[in-house]
Amino acid sequence: MSTVLEVLQPGFILRDALVASVLVGLVCPLVGVYFVLRRMIFLGVALPQLSAAGIAFSLLMHRTVAGPHPHGGPTDAMMARLGAMTFTLGGIFLLALLERRGREFVEARIGMTYAIAGALTILFLAADPWGEAHIVNLLKGELLAATETSVAFLAAVLCAVVIALLAFQKEFLLVSFDHDLAVVFGKRTTVWDALLYLLCGVTISFGVLAAGPLVTFGFLLAPPLAARQMTRRMLTFSAVSSAIGGVTAFVGFCAAYRYDLPLGPTEVAVSAAVLLVVSVGDRLRRALAPQPA
Amino acid sequence: MCLLRLRDVSLGYGNRPVLEHVNLELARGEFLALLGPNGAGKTTLLRGIVGLLAPMAGSIEYDLDRRASPLGYVPQRETLDPAFPLTVFEVVLMGTYARLPAWRRAGAHQHRVARHALELVGLPALADQRFADLSGGQTQRVLIARALAAEPSLLVLDEPTAGIDADATAAIMGVLTRLNREDGLTVLLVTHQVRVLQGIVKSVIWVQDGRAVRGGLEDMLARHAVAAVL
Repeated sequence: MSTVLEVLQPGFILRDALVASVLVGLVCPLVGVYFVLRRMIFLGVALPQLSAAGIAFSLLMHRTVAGPHPHGGPTDAMMARLGAMTFTLGGIFLLALLERRGREFVEARIGMTYAIAGALTILFLAADPWGEAHIVNLLKGELLAATETSVAFLAAVLCAVVIALLAFQKEFLLVSFDHDLAVVFGKRTTVWDALLYLLCGVTISFGVLAAGPLVTFGFLLAPPLAARQMTRRMLTFSAVSSAIGGVTAFVGFCAAYRYDLPLGPTEVAVSAAVLLVVSVGDRLRRALAPQPA
Repeated sequence: MCLLRLRDVSLGYGNRPVLEHVNLELARGEFLALLGPNGAGKTTLLRGIVGLLAPMAGSIEYDLDRRASPLGYVPQRETLDPAFPLTVFEVVLMGTYARLPAWRRAGAHQHRVARHALELVGLPALADQRFADLSGGQTQRVLIARALAAEPSLLVLDEPTAGIDADATAAIMGVLTRLNREDGLTVLLVTHQVRVLQGIVKSVIWVQDGRAVRGGLEDMLARHAVAAVL
């Protein structure tokens, strides 16, 4: 309890890291619900890895064009954002386009995307040995290195994502649940699919930059998988997913601070523990429910 | 008055036509069925009519503004994913999205329309139930309610009675018949169950060997020796 109180103090030294954690924990599940419902879970694995490849590529290009320079400046941060978004959005649109041509081997394409992205990340890092250590930190997502400026920027972007998700919630639901009906109704399904993918890509890109691929993937999937077992309505599903993500991010942060653990993995572990508890509870509830006559 | 006209339409997948030179008209207030053997192209024709499949040749013309008067479409229920956490009411409410622009949320009027649609199919008590927990017959009626929530001029159904029991089939056909006779709703449905059409449908479209031909129900059944199956 004392840890919680300390963390909530206005002058807490890691306040920016806490805010960044909770922001990622609140918003990633809101796009994660669509990954779960549209059965694109593997995409939630591949896209953070693509984002990481984009970061490594952009920094390598920056070095190639500008020559050797100390890493860590504001230009690096901007290049990292650009690389992350370009690779993530490019990958998601390409996979969506291939999916439209045929659903066969979807998992294979996503798996290959993950493998290729992982390999490219390492290759780009190997080509930039002067900045490898810094780039590795960037790829891990240094929540602890968050600053007031970076958190403000992250908050603005994620706020825009949330507003768009809420504003067009019925369109996203329609194209996801019954794509054919959306076409019959004359909705521009390509536009709505593209916008949904764009919001997913932006969230993942900024999530990876702030918290790394592991945390981003964890918050994309674990909270919605837990919430799915507790809710009956779509809006409640989204809200509970977000709440679970935010709370587990906060609890994970407190646990990591209290016991001096790695922040990102601790948050993911707390999120996974919640999923496990909810899953066990759901099974028990079903087992104990009276059987119909 | 003609609501729908197909002029020399060809429909198919890739470069392979499934149906060719289809010429049909559907009048307002008609109740028409698409019949034919498995794989003949009934669903293909239906998908072309509702706009899910672009014609390879010819034209499909509507005598209505599809924005002001959307089509009501009832797909085969296996196409919907039970993983979505939706109540019956939420599914029916989706039908009202046809008339709503992107920036407007479903309000009190849309909620009233959805509740009325559920009453029309006799399922107001199931509004709060999970859609995924319904029986086959209940699911089909909810999907009909969803289509009715669009307040359509034309209701198009793809095998609405497939895989459900006789009581549920009778209930569904009763709803459709009542809407057609009392409200003048134009209905077009695909079915394999010829028995359910007798006493309700006078004309059918028989789909076979790449063609779609219109005729009287009894005449078509006699021509295609289906009476023995009945």
